[in-house]
Amino acid sequence: MSRSAVVWIHEEDLSPNSPALQAAGASTPAVFVIDTGWLRDERISLKRVVFMYECALELPVVIRKGDPPEVVSTFAQEHQADIILATATPDPRLRRQGDALQAEWIEPPPFVVLPKAPDLKRFSRYWRKAERKAFTPTENQ
Amino acid sequence: MPDLRRDFDSRDDLIAYCTEQFPESADVDDHVSDTLGGRHEAEAVLADVEPRAYAKTRNMLNGAVTGLSPYLHHGVLSLAEVRDDLLQRFGPQPCSKLINELAWRDYFRQAMAEIGEDVWQDREEYKTGWAAADYADELPPDIEQGETGIDFIDAMARELVETGYLHNQGRMKLASYLVHWRKVRWQAGAEWFLSHLLDGDAASNNLSWQWVASTFSHKPYLWNQGGLVFISDGRFTGNAHDGSSPFTGEVPEIAERLYP
Repeated sequence: MSRSAVVWIHEEDLSPNSPALQAAGASTPAVFVIDTGWLRDERISLKRVVFMYECALELPVVIRKGDPPEVVSTFAQEHQADIILATATPDPRLRRQGDALQAEWIEPPPFVVLPKAPDLKRFSRYWRKAERKAFTPTENQ
Repeated sequence: MPDLRRDFDSRDDLIAYCTEQFPESADVDDHVSDTLGGRHEAEAVLADVEPRAYAKTRNMLNGAVTGLSPYLHHGVLSLAEVRDDLLQRFGPQPCSKLINELAWRDYFRQAMAEIGEDVWQDREEYKTGWAAADYADELPPDIEQGETGIDFIDAMARELVETGYLHNQGRMKLASYLVHWRKVRWQAGAEWFLSHLLDGDAASNNLSWQWVASTFSHKPYLWNQGGLVFISDGRFTGNAHDGSSPFTGEVPEIAERLYP
Protein backbone atom coordinates (compact mmCIF):
# COMPACT_ATOMS: atom_id res chain seq x y z
CA MET A 1 0.00 0.00 0.00
CA SER A 2 1.17 3.49 -0.80
CA ARG A 3 2.90 5.31 2.05
CA SER A 4 0.69 8.28 1.28
CA ALA A 5 -2.51 6.70 2.60
CA VAL A 6 -4.39 7.15 5.86
CA VAL A 7 -7.27 5.12 7.25
CA TRP A 8 -10.55 6.60 8.45
CA ILE A 9 -12.08 4.35 11.08
CA HIS A 10 -15.78 5.07 11.47
CA GLU A 11 -18.30 3.87 14.06
CA GLU A 12 -19.16 0.67 12.19
CA ASP A 13 -15.53 -0.37 11.86
CA LEU A 14 -14.24 -0.56 15.42
CA SER A 15 -12.32 -3.83 15.10
CA PRO A 16 -8.55 -4.36 15.23
CA ASN A 17 -9.31 -6.56 12.17
CA SER A 18 -10.91 -3.65 10.31
CA PRO A 19 -10.90 -4.38 6.58
CA ALA A 20 -9.57 -0.87 5.88
CA LEU A 21 -6.76 -1.26 8.44
CA GLN A 22 -5.84 -4.63 6.99
CA ALA A 23 -5.84 -3.30 3.44
CA ALA A 24 -3.67 -0.35 4.46
CA GLY A 25 -1.05 -2.29 6.39
CA ALA A 26 0.17 -1.88 9.94
CA SER A 27 2.25 1.27 9.52
CA THR A 28 -0.50 3.36 7.93
CA PRO A 29 -1.75 6.18 10.17
CA ALA A 30 -5.38 5.78 11.17
CA VAL A 31 -7.88 8.07 12.85
CA PHE A 32 -11.22 7.46 14.56
CA VAL A 33 -13.37 10.57 14.72
CA ILE A 34 -16.20 10.83 17.23
CA ASP A 35 -18.80 12.70 15.19
CA THR A 36 -20.03 15.49 17.47
CA GLY A 37 -22.65 16.64 14.95
CA TRP A 38 -24.18 13.18 14.97
CA LEU A 39 -24.08 13.00 18.78
CA ARG A 40 -25.91 16.32 18.93
CA ASP A 41 -28.43 15.77 16.11
CA GLU A 42 -29.42 12.25 17.14
CA ARG A 43 -29.11 12.90 20.88
CA ILE A 44 -26.66 10.04 21.37
CA SER A 45 -26.34 9.36 25.10
CA LEU A 46 -23.11 9.00 27.06
CA LYS A 47 -23.22 5.21 27.36
CA ARG A 48 -22.97 4.86 23.59
CA VAL A 49 -19.97 7.19 23.46
CA VAL A 50 -18.19 5.29 26.25
CA PHE A 51 -18.81 1.97 24.48
CA MET A 52 -17.39 3.26 21.17
CA TYR A 53 -14.45 4.84 22.94
CA GLU A 54 -13.62 1.56 24.70
CA CYS A 55 -13.74 -0.25 21.37
CA ALA A 56 -11.46 2.33 19.75
CA LEU A 57 -8.87 1.99 22.54
CA GLU A 58 -8.04 -1.51 21.25
CA LEU A 59 -7.25 -0.19 17.78
CA PRO A 60 -3.98 1.39 16.60
CA VAL A 61 -5.65 4.72 15.96
CA VAL A 62 -5.53 8.36 16.89
CA ILE A 63 -8.86 9.42 18.42
CA ARG A 64 -10.27 12.86 17.65
CA LYS A 65 -13.66 14.52 17.73
CA GLY A 66 -15.51 16.87 15.41
CA ASP A 67 -16.85 16.72 11.87
CA PRO A 68 -15.40 13.56 10.28
CA PRO A 69 -14.80 14.93 6.76
CA GLU A 70 -13.02 17.96 8.21
CA VAL A 71 -10.99 16.08 10.80
CA VAL A 72 -9.97 13.24 8.48
CA SER A 73 -9.01 15.69 5.76
CA THR A 74 -6.75 17.56 8.22
CA PHE A 75 -5.30 14.25 9.42
CA ALA A 76 -4.51 13.26 5.81
CA GLN A 77 -2.77 16.60 5.24
CA GLU A 78 -0.69 16.15 8.40
CA HIS A 79 0.57 12.88 6.94
CA GLN A 80 0.89 14.20 3.38
CA ALA A 81 -1.52 11.50 2.34
CA ASP A 82 -3.57 11.62 -0.82
CA ILE A 83 -5.47 8.38 -0.31
CA ILE A 84 -8.08 7.80 2.40
CA LEU A 85 -9.18 4.23 3.01
CA ALA A 86 -12.38 3.32 4.83
CA THR A 87 -14.40 0.15 5.32
CA ALA A 88 -17.57 0.12 3.21
CA THR A 89 -20.87 0.54 5.08
CA PRO A 90 -24.54 0.87 4.11
CA ASP A 91 -25.09 3.67 6.64
CA PRO A 92 -26.21 6.75 4.67
CA ARG A 93 -24.46 9.30 6.91
CA LEU A 94 -21.12 7.46 6.85
CA ARG A 95 -21.38 6.96 3.10
CA ARG A 96 -22.03 10.65 2.58
CA GLN A 97 -19.04 11.55 4.74
CA GLY A 98 -16.76 9.04 3.02
CA ASP A 99 -17.85 10.23 -0.39
CA ALA A 100 -17.12 13.83 0.64
CA LEU A 101 -13.60 12.65 1.49
CA GLN A 102 -13.37 10.71 -1.77
CA ALA A 103 -12.51 7.72 0.38
CA GLU A 104 -11.61 4.43 -1.22
CA TRP A 105 -14.17 1.99 0.18
CA ILE A 106 -12.80 -1.40 1.24
CA GLU A 107 -15.51 -4.07 1.13
CA PRO A 108 -15.65 -6.35 4.19
CA PRO A 109 -16.11 -10.09 3.62
CA PRO A 110 -19.82 -10.50 2.84
CA PHE A 111 -22.11 -12.70 4.94
CA VAL A 112 -23.45 -14.36 1.80
CA VAL A 113 -22.23 -14.21 -1.80
CA LEU A 114 -25.22 -14.50 -4.10
CA PRO A 115 -25.23 -14.78 -7.90
CA LYS A 116 -27.55 -11.82 -8.17
CA ALA A 117 -28.97 -9.22 -5.81
CA PRO A 118 -31.91 -10.67 -3.85
CA ASP A 119 -35.37 -9.10 -3.68
CA LEU A 120 -35.30 -7.18 -0.40
CA LYS A 121 -38.96 -6.27 -0.07
CA ARG A 122 -39.46 -8.96 2.58
CA PHE A 123 -37.03 -11.06 4.60
CA SER A 124 -38.67 -14.29 3.36
CA ARG A 125 -37.69 -13.49 -0.24
CA TYR A 126 -34.09 -12.75 0.76
CA TRP A 127 -33.96 -15.92 2.90
CA ARG A 128 -35.08 -18.19 0.07
CA LYS A 129 -32.03 -17.09 -1.92
CA ALA A 130 -29.58 -16.70 0.96
CA GLU A 131 -30.30 -19.64 3.30
CA ARG A 132 -27.84 -22.13 1.85
CA LYS A 133 -25.04 -19.57 1.72
CA ALA A 134 -25.77 -18.39 5.25
CA PHE A 135 -24.65 -21.82 6.46
CA THR A 136 -21.54 -21.82 4.24
CA PRO A 137 -18.24 -20.69 5.81
CA THR A 138 -16.67 -17.57 4.31
CA GLU A 139 -13.82 -19.53 2.71
CA ASN A 140 -16.32 -21.57 0.66
CA GLN A 141 -18.63 -18.71 -0.31
CA MET B 1 -7.48 19.55 16.47
CA PRO B 2 -5.83 17.82 19.44
CA ASP B 3 -5.82 14.06 19.85
CA LEU B 4 -8.11 12.72 22.52
CA ARG B 5 -6.55 10.71 25.36
CA ARG B 6 -5.78 7.03 25.01
CA ASP B 7 -4.37 6.34 28.45
CA PHE B 8 -6.78 5.83 31.32
CA ASP B 9 -6.17 4.59 34.85
CA SER B 10 -9.58 2.98 35.09
CA ARG B 11 -12.99 2.80 33.48
CA ASP B 12 -14.16 5.54 35.83
CA ASP B 13 -11.34 7.73 34.53
CA LEU B 14 -12.51 7.08 30.94
CA ILE B 15 -16.12 7.81 31.87
CA ALA B 16 -15.17 11.10 33.55
CA TYR B 17 -13.15 12.08 30.48
CA CYS B 18 -16.01 11.25 28.09
CA THR B 19 -18.41 13.23 30.27
CA GLU B 20 -16.10 16.24 30.04
CA GLN B 21 -15.40 15.89 26.29
CA PHE B 22 -18.99 15.12 25.26
CA PRO B 23 -21.19 17.17 27.59
CA GLU B 24 -24.17 17.13 25.22
CA SER B 25 -24.27 13.34 25.31
CA ALA B 26 -24.02 13.38 29.09
CA ASP B 27 -26.92 15.85 29.12
CA VAL B 28 -29.09 13.48 27.07
CA ASP B 29 -28.41 10.81 29.69
CA ASP B 30 -25.32 9.99 31.71
CA HIS B 31 -25.85 6.35 32.57
CA VAL B 32 -23.04 4.02 31.51
CA SER B 33 -23.64 0.41 30.54
CA ASP B 34 -21.99 -2.55 32.24
CA THR B 35 -21.37 -3.91 28.74
CA LEU B 36 -17.71 -3.29 27.97
CA GLY B 37 -16.51 -2.20 24.57
CA GLY B 38 -13.61 -3.77 22.70
CA ARG B 39 -12.56 -6.82 20.77
CA HIS B 40 -11.33 -8.72 23.82
CA GLU B 41 -14.71 -8.48 25.46
CA ALA B 42 -16.47 -9.27 22.17
CA GLU B 43 -14.48 -12.50 21.81
CA ALA B 44 -15.35 -13.46 25.37
CA VAL B 45 -19.04 -12.88 24.67
CA LEU B 46 -18.81 -14.93 21.48
CA ALA B 47 -17.07 -17.77 23.32
CA ASP B 48 -20.00 -17.92 25.77
CA VAL B 49 -22.70 -18.22 23.08
CA GLU B 50 -24.79 -21.36 23.46
CA PRO B 51 -26.65 -21.92 20.18
CA ARG B 52 -28.82 -24.79 21.47
CA ALA B 53 -29.99 -22.83 24.51
CA TYR B 54 -30.46 -19.80 22.29
CA ALA B 55 -32.72 -21.74 19.94
CA LYS B 56 -34.85 -22.99 22.83
CA THR B 57 -35.11 -19.96 25.08
CA ARG B 58 -34.34 -16.81 23.07
CA ASN B 59 -37.92 -15.51 23.15
CA MET B 60 -38.03 -15.59 26.95
CA LEU B 61 -36.97 -12.33 28.60
CA ASN B 62 -34.47 -14.27 30.72
CA GLY B 63 -33.49 -16.59 27.84
CA ALA B 64 -30.00 -17.33 26.55
CA VAL B 65 -29.66 -14.40 24.17
CA THR B 66 -26.15 -13.73 22.92
CA GLY B 67 -25.44 -10.07 23.72
CA LEU B 68 -23.48 -9.88 20.46
CA SER B 69 -25.45 -7.04 18.89
CA PRO B 70 -23.40 -4.04 20.17
CA TYR B 71 -20.25 -5.68 18.81
CA LEU B 72 -21.89 -6.58 15.50
CA HIS B 73 -23.25 -3.08 15.03
CA HIS B 74 -19.86 -1.45 15.58
CA GLY B 75 -18.03 -3.95 13.40
CA VAL B 76 -16.04 -5.27 16.38
CA LEU B 77 -17.18 -8.67 15.14
CA SER B 78 -18.51 -9.21 11.63
CA LEU B 79 -21.56 -11.32 10.81
CA ALA B 80 -19.36 -13.55 8.65
CA GLU B 81 -16.80 -14.21 11.38
CA VAL B 82 -19.46 -14.97 13.99
CA ARG B 83 -21.13 -17.40 11.57
CA ASP B 84 -17.78 -19.03 10.74
CA ASP B 85 -16.91 -19.40 14.41
CA LEU B 86 -20.28 -20.95 15.27
CA LEU B 87 -20.17 -23.40 12.37
CA GLN B 88 -16.69 -24.49 13.33
CA ARG B 89 -17.55 -25.07 16.98
CA PHE B 90 -21.05 -26.49 16.72
CA GLY B 91 -21.78 -27.45 13.10
CA PRO B 92 -24.81 -26.15 11.19
CA GLN B 93 -27.76 -27.88 12.86
CA PRO B 94 -27.57 -26.46 16.41
CA CYS B 95 -26.91 -23.01 14.95
CA SER B 96 -29.86 -22.87 12.59
CA LYS B 97 -31.92 -20.38 14.62
CA LEU B 98 -28.97 -18.18 15.51
CA ILE B 99 -27.66 -18.03 11.95
CA ASN B 100 -31.18 -17.18 10.77
CA GLU B 101 -31.12 -14.21 13.17
CA LEU B 102 -27.69 -13.15 11.92
CA ALA B 103 -29.20 -13.25 8.44
CA TRP B 104 -31.88 -10.76 9.56
CA ARG B 105 -29.09 -8.31 10.33
CA ASP B 106 -27.51 -8.93 6.94
CA TYR B 107 -30.90 -8.48 5.31
CA PHE B 108 -31.51 -5.16 7.10
CA ARG B 109 -28.05 -3.92 6.10
CA GLN B 110 -28.59 -4.87 2.47
CA ALA B 111 -32.02 -3.26 2.51
CA MET B 112 -30.56 -0.07 3.95
CA ALA B 113 -27.88 0.03 1.26
CA GLU B 114 -30.75 0.09 -1.22
CA ILE B 115 -32.97 2.48 0.72
CA GLY B 116 -30.30 5.00 1.78
CA GLU B 117 -31.49 8.20 3.46
CA ASP B 118 -35.11 7.09 3.01
CA VAL B 119 -34.67 4.70 5.93
CA TRP B 120 -36.47 7.38 7.98
CA GLN B 121 -39.48 7.42 5.61
CA ASP B 122 -42.43 5.03 5.77
CA ARG B 123 -41.64 2.25 3.30
CA GLU B 124 -45.35 1.54 2.77
CA GLU B 125 -48.73 2.67 4.11
CA TYR B 126 -49.78 1.64 7.62
CA LYS B 127 -52.04 -1.44 7.44
CA THR B 128 -53.98 -0.37 10.52
CA GLY B 129 -56.80 1.61 8.97
CA TRP B 130 -55.14 4.84 10.16
CA ALA B 131 -53.18 7.16 7.89
CA ALA B 132 -49.65 8.27 8.77
CA ALA B 133 -51.03 11.73 9.58
CA ASP B 134 -53.24 10.22 12.31
CA TYR B 135 -50.17 9.34 14.38
CA ALA B 136 -48.57 11.79 16.82
CA ASP B 137 -45.06 13.06 16.10
CA GLU B 138 -43.67 13.24 19.60
CA LEU B 139 -42.70 10.62 22.13
CA PRO B 140 -45.09 10.94 25.10
CA PRO B 141 -43.14 12.02 28.21
CA ASP B 142 -44.71 9.34 30.42
CA ILE B 143 -43.22 6.66 28.20
CA GLU B 144 -39.80 8.28 27.95
CA GLN B 145 -39.66 8.72 31.72
CA GLY B 146 -40.99 5.24 32.48
CA GLU B 147 -44.05 6.63 34.24
CA THR B 148 -46.99 5.11 32.39
CA GLY B 149 -47.85 3.03 35.47
CA ILE B 150 -47.78 -0.15 33.36
CA ASP B 151 -45.19 -2.45 34.94
CA PHE B 152 -43.74 -3.87 31.75
CA ILE B 153 -43.61 -0.63 29.76
CA ASP B 154 -41.96 1.31 32.57
CA ALA B 155 -39.43 -1.45 33.26
CA MET B 156 -38.42 -1.60 29.60
CA ALA B 157 -38.11 2.19 29.33
CA ARG B 158 -35.84 2.24 32.38
CA GLU B 159 -33.77 -0.70 31.15
CA LEU B 160 -33.26 0.97 27.78
CA VAL B 161 -31.96 4.16 29.33
CA GLU B 162 -29.93 2.57 32.12
CA THR B 163 -28.29 -0.31 30.24
CA GLY B 164 -28.36 0.59 26.55
CA TYR B 165 -29.80 -2.83 25.79
CA LEU B 166 -33.23 -4.43 25.48
CA HIS B 167 -34.22 -8.01 24.77
CA ASN B 168 -35.80 -8.29 21.31
CA GLN B 169 -39.19 -9.06 22.86
CA GLY B 170 -38.86 -5.94 24.99
CA ARG B 171 -38.06 -3.86 21.92
CA MET B 172 -40.91 -5.22 19.83
CA LYS B 173 -43.54 -5.00 22.54
CA LEU B 174 -42.49 -1.53 23.64
CA ALA B 175 -42.47 -0.40 20.00
CA SER B 176 -45.88 -1.94 19.43
CA TYR B 177 -47.30 -0.23 22.52
CA LEU B 178 -45.98 3.16 21.39
CA VAL B 179 -47.20 2.91 17.80
CA HIS B 180 -50.44 0.97 18.17
CA TRP B 181 -51.78 1.68 21.66
CA ARG B 182 -50.49 5.25 21.93
CA LYS B 183 -50.72 6.08 18.21
CA VAL B 184 -47.28 7.65 17.87
CA ARG B 185 -45.28 7.58 14.61
CA TRP B 186 -42.60 4.90 14.66
CA GLN B 187 -39.94 7.52 13.89
CA ALA B 188 -40.29 9.06 17.36
CA GLY B 189 -39.63 5.72 18.98
CA ALA B 190 -36.80 4.82 16.61
CA GLU B 191 -34.99 8.04 17.51
CA TRP B 192 -35.45 7.34 21.20
CA PHE B 193 -33.99 3.84 20.82
CA LEU B 194 -31.02 5.13 18.81
CA SER B 195 -30.16 7.59 21.59
CA HIS B 196 -29.66 4.73 23.99
CA LEU B 197 -29.11 1.33 22.38
CA LEU B 198 -25.44 0.37 22.24
CA ASP B 199 -26.32 -1.59 19.11
CA GLY B 200 -28.48 1.17 17.65
CA ASP B 201 -28.15 1.33 13.90
CA ALA B 202 -30.61 2.77 11.46
CA ALA B 203 -30.82 -0.51 9.52
CA SER B 204 -31.93 -3.01 12.17
CA ASN B 205 -33.56 -0.40 14.38
CA ASN B 206 -35.62 1.58 11.89
CA LEU B 207 -36.62 -1.34 9.72
CA SER B 208 -37.70 -3.33 12.79
CA TRP B 209 -39.78 -0.36 13.96
CA GLN B 210 -41.33 -0.25 10.50
CA TRP B 211 -42.00 -3.97 10.69
CA VAL B 212 -43.85 -3.48 13.99
CA ALA B 213 -45.70 -0.42 12.65
CA SER B 214 -46.76 -2.30 9.47
CA THR B 215 -45.04 0.13 7.11
CA PHE B 216 -42.57 -2.66 6.25
CA SER B 217 -44.79 -5.71 6.71
CA HIS B 218 -48.24 -7.06 5.83
CA LYS B 219 -49.82 -6.38 9.22
CA PRO B 220 -49.11 -4.58 12.48
CA TYR B 221 -47.37 -6.46 15.28
CA LEU B 222 -49.66 -6.68 18.31
CA TRP B 223 -49.36 -8.68 21.52
CA ASN B 224 -51.46 -9.50 24.53
CA GLN B 225 -51.26 -10.06 28.26
CA GLY B 226 -51.02 -13.83 27.98
CA GLY B 227 -48.01 -13.57 25.71
CA LEU B 228 -46.33 -11.11 28.05
CA VAL B 229 -46.88 -13.23 31.16
CA PHE B 230 -45.45 -16.22 29.27
CA ILE B 231 -42.27 -14.60 27.93
CA SER B 232 -41.58 -12.93 31.27
CA ASP B 233 -42.26 -16.06 33.33
CA GLY B 234 -44.84 -14.11 35.29
CA ARG B 235 -42.51 -11.20 36.09
CA PHE B 236 -44.86 -8.79 34.30
CA THR B 237 -48.64 -8.58 34.10
CA GLY B 238 -48.97 -5.60 31.77
CA ASN B 239 -51.29 -4.09 34.36
CA ALA B 240 -51.42 -0.46 35.35
CA HIS B 241 -51.30 0.52 39.04
CA ASP B 242 -55.11 0.36 39.26
CA GLY B 243 -55.12 -3.22 38.00
CA SER B 244 -56.53 -2.36 34.57
CA SER B 245 -54.74 -3.56 31.45
CA PRO B 246 -54.88 -2.39 27.83
CA PHE B 247 -53.55 -5.79 26.76
CA THR B 248 -56.41 -8.11 27.69
CA GLY B 249 -58.13 -10.37 25.17
CA GLU B 250 -56.90 -12.11 22.05
CA VAL B 251 -54.91 -10.18 19.46
CA PRO B 252 -57.81 -9.94 16.94
CA GLU B 253 -60.02 -8.40 19.67
CA ILE B 254 -57.27 -5.94 20.52
CA ALA B 255 -56.99 -5.00 16.83
CA GLU B 256 -60.75 -4.32 16.83
CA ARG B 257 -60.36 -2.01 19.80
CA LEU B 258 -57.40 -0.14 18.38
CA TYR B 259 -58.22 0.29 14.70
CA PRO B 260 -61.13 1.92 12.85
